Amino acid sequence: MSDKVSVSLHINGKDHALTVAPERTLLDVLREDLRATGTRRGCDEGSCGACTVLVDGVPVLSCLSLPARLAGRAITTIEGVEAGGELHPVQRALVQHGAVQCGFCMSGIVLAAKALLEHTPSPTEDEVRQALGSNVCRCSGYVRVVQAIVSLGGRP
Amino acid sequence: MRYAEPGSVEEGLALLSTTEDARCLAGGASLVAMMNAGRVAPGMLVSLHHIPELSTITEAADGLWLGAMCTHRTVAAEARLRGAMEVVRSAASQLAHPAIRNMATVGGSLCLADPQTELPVALVASSARAEVAGSAGRRTLPVEALLVDSFRTSLARGELLTRVFIPRGVDGAAGHHLRFSRVSSDYPTVSISLVLAMDGDRCRHARVVVGSCGPVPLHVDAADQRLVGTRLEAADVAEAGRLLAQAAAPLDDVRGSAEYRRMLIPRLLGRALSQARERTHV
Ligand SMILES: Cc1cc2nc3c(=O)[nH]c(=O)nc-3n(C[C@H](O)[C@H](O)[C@H](O)COP(=O)(O)OP(=O)(O)OC[C@H]3O[C@@H](n4cnc5c(N)ncnc54)[C@H](O)[C@@H]3O)c2cc1C
Ligand code: FES
Ligand code: FES
Repeated sequence: MSDKVSVSLHINGKDHALTVAPERTLLDVLREDLRATGTRRGCDEGSCGACTVLVDGVPVLSCLSLPARLAGRAITTIEGVEAGGELHPVQRALVQHGAVQCGFCMSGIVLAAKALLEHTPSPTEDEVRQALGSNVCRCSGYVRVVQAIVSLGGRP
Repeated sequence: MRYAEPGSVEEGLALLSTTEDARCLAGGASLVAMMNAGRVAPGMLVSLHHIPELSTITEAADGLWLGAMCTHRTVAAEARLRGAMEVVRSAASQLAHPAIRNMATVGGSLCLADPQTELPVALVASSARAEVAGSAGRRTLPVEALLVDSFRTSLARGELLTRVFIPRGVDGAAGHHLRFSRVSSDYPTVSISLVLAMDGDRCRHARVVVGSCGPVPLHVDAADQRLVGTRLEAADVAEAGRLLAQAAAPLDDVRGSAEYRRMLIPRLLGRALSQARERTHV
């Protein structure tokens, strides 16, 4: 029998009061309880980065994060990235560079790139590759993804 | 499964002792992955996130104490890890990939005791000591004595790791970590952590430790001694590498056969030594 944990999660600027079994991950809760399915489930073991979200601005893997310990932290998912119906510059650049293929990896890549650009506004190609080291893409070959993110250099 | 968030080490110890199969939750990077895969189902998770002392870094005259809950990201950014101590910073900044480095911790890495992880290798190279808290109080022991086998530590039931001490080490020494992996964010096929000090062009001090080549980080005194006093010429490196390869007990797996890993040791050793040598300043 599982004890339940009550926790208030601050996701994309809104508070969500939840009661969950302690072993359920943030990824489970986002997709199944909150129906925020933009965060993808790939490997469930930390290897693919599809489930990346930001916690206090830093990329973490929601498949390995337990909601109980994220109380009060600022969580950003892909649903919280566009503003006023406008795509985020990272999203626009990825589309413009033809970097998106099936799109499965893209929520994670957008969040990893957003976090990178926030503290390194003009990243080099190498810095982009390093920052995307957590994210696996099975179709793009990364070249256009990296070009798209580098092209945003100098913009916040 | 029960879940608890103690606010102090003592409270944490009390919780661990009440439940047969309680487990500490640090970064969760490995523990939650194992739970997701159905490989472990602890009766209780004792989160270490609300114990302030475990995230503390304390400077002492002879070295630096790193709290068990310091993430790899924090360690990688710790500028006080210089000289010989830099081996720990070097490993923390390269291992795994950014999202894991943002989550996984010093204590989690040590207590998991996965032969493929690199922080334990760097801690052995830096002659680090671990502080362990239990119902009878605290004790410190060399990291080598904590790591007893693949995925096994000498922690007794109900004990937890509180912090590790990185000694400042030999004057003028440089610490360095080198990993060889198929792609940069994968576990290494072989990793090497070392601390090196030179006297002119002669080696004054060397401590070399190899990862992913046996159940625990591989340290061979005779290999260190083979380097000390030499000019680190090809024959010296080859001979030290041979001693290490001979003592290694690597696995055959997707990242490389045992034979391949043995062949890599001397080659990577040469590269790691020359990289470290560029950083020594005596
Ligand atoms: C996808 C992936 C890739 C990785 N790649 C690499 C790599 O390339 N190189 C590398 O070196 N490492 C790698 N790692 C391992 C990583 O660096 C950590 O060592 C590991 O994830 C454990 O750290 P954690 O803080 O998340 O511990 P957890 O997963 O929270 O805990 C691990 C174990 O240690 C116990 N524990 C944790 N803290 C304590 C404590 N203070 N006292 C007592 N027991 C404790 C837990 O109960 C559990 O049994 C990888 C991990 C993952 C998931
Ligand atoms: S689903 Fe989380 S890293 Fe793959
Ligand atoms: S675009 Fe298909 S996985 Fe990346």
